[in-house]
Amino acid sequence: MKKKKLMNRRQKVLFGLCFSVLFLIAICIAGVLCTEEARVTDFSRKNIAPCLQYLFGTDWLGRDMLVRTLKGMSLSIFIGILSAVISAVIALILGIASATMGKRVDGFITWLIDLIMGIPHMLLLILISVALGKGFKGVVIGVAFTHWTSLARLIRAEVIQLKESSYIKIAEKLGKSKWYIAKKHMLPHLIPQFVVGLVLIFPHAILHESSITFLGFGLSTEQPAIGIILSEAMKYLVMGKWWLALFPGLFLVLTVILFYVLGESLRKLIDPGSVHE
Amino acid sequence: MKKKIVSILCASMLTLSMLAGCGGSDANKQSTSDVAEEQTVEDAAEDTEEDSEKEAETEDVAAVKDEVVVTMPANSEPESGFDPAFGWGAGEHVHEPLIQSTLTVTTKDLKIDKDLATEFDVSDDGMTWTVTIRDDVKFTDGEPLTAKDVAFTYNNCKEKSSVNDFTMLDEAVAVDDTTVEFHMTRPFSIWPYTMAIVGIVPEHAYDENYGQNPVGSGRYIMKQWDKGQQVIFEANPDYYGDAPKIKKVTVLFMEEDAALAAAMAGQVDVAHTAATYSDQSIDGYSLIHVETVDNRGFNLPCIVPEEKDGLTYGNAFTADINVRRAINIGIDRDELIDNVLNGYGTKAYSVCDKMPWYNSDAEVEYNQEEALKLLEDAGWKEGSDGIREKDGIKAEITLMFPSSDSVRQAIAEDVSNQLKELGIKVTTEGVGWDVAYDRAESEPLVWGWGAHTPMELYNIYHTLEDVGIGQAEYSPYANESVDNYMDEALAADDLEESYELWQKAQWDGTTGITQEGDIPWIWLVNIDHLYFVRDGLNVADQKLHPHGHGWSIVNNVDQWSWE
Repeated sequence: MKKKKLMNRRQKVLFGLCFSVLFLIAICIAGVLCTEEARVTDFSRKNIAPCLQYLFGTDWLGRDMLVRTLKGMSLSIFIGILSAVISAVIALILGIASATMGKRVDGFITWLIDLIMGIPHMLLLILISVALGKGFKGVVIGVAFTHWTSLARLIRAEVIQLKESSYIKIAEKLGKSKWYIAKKHMLPHLIPQFVVGLVLIFPHAILHESSITFLGFGLSTEQPAIGIILSEAMKYLVMGKWWLALFPGLFLVLTVILFYVLGESLRKLIDPGSVHE
Repeated sequence: MKKKIVSILCASMLTLSMLAGCGGSDANKQSTSDVAEEQTVEDAAEDTEEDSEKEAETEDVAAVKDEVVVTMPANSEPESGFDPAFGWGAGEHVHEPLIQSTLTVTTKDLKIDKDLATEFDVSDDGMTWTVTIRDDVKFTDGEPLTAKDVAFTYNNCKEKSSVNDFTMLDEAVAVDDTTVEFHMTRPFSIWPYTMAIVGIVPEHAYDENYGQNPVGSGRYIMKQWDKGQQVIFEANPDYYGDAPKIKKVTVLFMEEDAALAAAMAGQVDVAHTAATYSDQSIDGYSLIHVETVDNRGFNLPCIVPEEKDGLTYGNAFTADINVRRAINIGIDRDELIDNVLNGYGTKAYSVCDKMPWYNSDAEVEYNQEEALKLLEDAGWKEGSDGIREKDGIKAEITLMFPSSDSVRQAIAEDVSNQLKELGIKVTTEGVGWDVAYDRAESEPLVWGWGAHTPMELYNIYHTLEDVGIGQAEYSPYANESVDNYMDEALAADDLEESYELWQKAQWDGTTGITQEGDIPWIWLVNIDHLYFVRDGLNVADQKLHPHGHGWSIVNNVDQWSWE
């Protein structure tokens, strides 16, 4: 060893993991705590540039942008988590079903995956959201129904591979039921893939939530969602009110990056290929 | 070590590609809107260039500039073209149709004057209007305008118009070349106000494409229409009235932020703008504000909730008349105007402030103490959470606003803050128009109204027998006496008399829709229409603008002048 490092690689990954988890949890808690404040309007403090009292400034209705940004981010994170979980569960069920339930089901599910992947994400998302009357429900279901495809493919491939492995074949020969095999032998093997896949859906889900809200097909305007904040800010940029867009935008990017770090760290820690590095 | 660098590189590449992939939609949207903006601004630039060239040519002849470039909100562009049967002039937002001429016109104080009509008269039973028209008017294609064209226009509107109500008209008949008779289905004393917005179209040149290539007899000819961008009008050289002073009008369709940018770049002569931008100062431009009846207010359902066909009508809290009265005097309209409109607005007390049919008894003073007393006396006592309560009903309302309208959102927020001081909890919610009408039957919504006709009063306050639960259309309310006055007003012999009856419908000394009456709607502000106008351009005397921030400004563009 030439010199002693501060942290070895595993520790670094662990640090990244803990930091992102803590940060995201902190945003969520802060967001929950300031639900009321995020909607308070006070016309006596309109359009104040960032200062000590209002770190992120205030907007045209005198709302504190710091509180709004935090609330907006936590809202996005909740929507992201909810829709990512739904999405991942869909992927898991369809992936396994596709691989185990015979040719016809496989054919149908693969066709479904191709179909959904064939339509641009954003378009399908808008369609679903509008059809469901926009709002929280529309966005969550829209995001959930558009983001499961790649994970479902991954799981399907994994299961097909597993089916050929000797211990599954032996279990089959021993007369175990399909359900038993799936539960006892396949699921444990799939969990790492599944968890990492799940976490990596988050950033997509969050970005898509903000995009669709930004375009006006998502959450309603009185909600402090990041998409709303950004689209409102557009009108005021021409007047030089940069703080309305800058901080919320930065926070969005930061959150997305942190989720990505989180997913990658998890992958490194539980993926057999890198777990012993 | 090498491996580590590679992995970091890979990770960052992945992050980047992911961000690029997902963020695409936002970025795209922005860039497309930028492009659109640039386009229109460029067009405007080209235009002004053209203008200046022409100007140079004509300088010797006349040194006076006679062209203007005006911006309007994108939704002012008439979707179905310049056809009165599909809402041009006579639509949701009324204005003078410029290309076509009308039988009558509204004056500066919104009474009636004659244009094509030389005389109009109504029969004693109010069922027949006889109008004599000028015989010297020609359409811009050279054909004379006769009573047949007038009759055709009105019958066509009755048959096709989906945006304006023509049910009071039975049939229009041309008696001879200059006389037309309107046979009505019911007496309609304010028919001259309808005649002021329906542009007369030529029967011989009317087909389904008329809206795209309108031919009229009005002050201007539509020269060019680039959909989504601009319309160019040129003065009609054969116009029968005073020749327009402004020879060429270019209307650009864009949103307020783009209009501001265009004004900053000096590319337009009149740029519409909103109160939010009113503190901007642009060199070479000054801000003008035009008073309006473009009002904002909210409805308070007057009955206790009942269900019909899956819809809820009425609201338990606002069904109490004392609550409605307390809200009406418990809102400081001056504060609202300062907070939301930067001072560019006037206090509103009715849907028709300053109109000839307005009853000034509707005015009230802000009085918070009195409002609190009204609530206390009516039994609305403050609960432990600061919100009033009576018989298990909480003093709570959801105040909706159309989600794309930031001014109405700000009004809703300010009302919410002000009513909190009275112990009323107001939750604001942005809604789309697809659900707003239904939900307004049971919850208040921030509306915008204001038109140059008393029919607006009728539409808001008169009951409809066969619609919903037999109450007024937009928010449940019924008062027989108010109904009767309005029916009488429509049946009145002449306009002056009907004005008085419209006023009585609002307050006759014992009942009505004002503070002492039933107060089913709370009116808050009339929003000034704001424009950045290039120095040297005189936009003449503007009438009170109605609802809609679009075409009203060019109602009198023919009288504008450059210094």
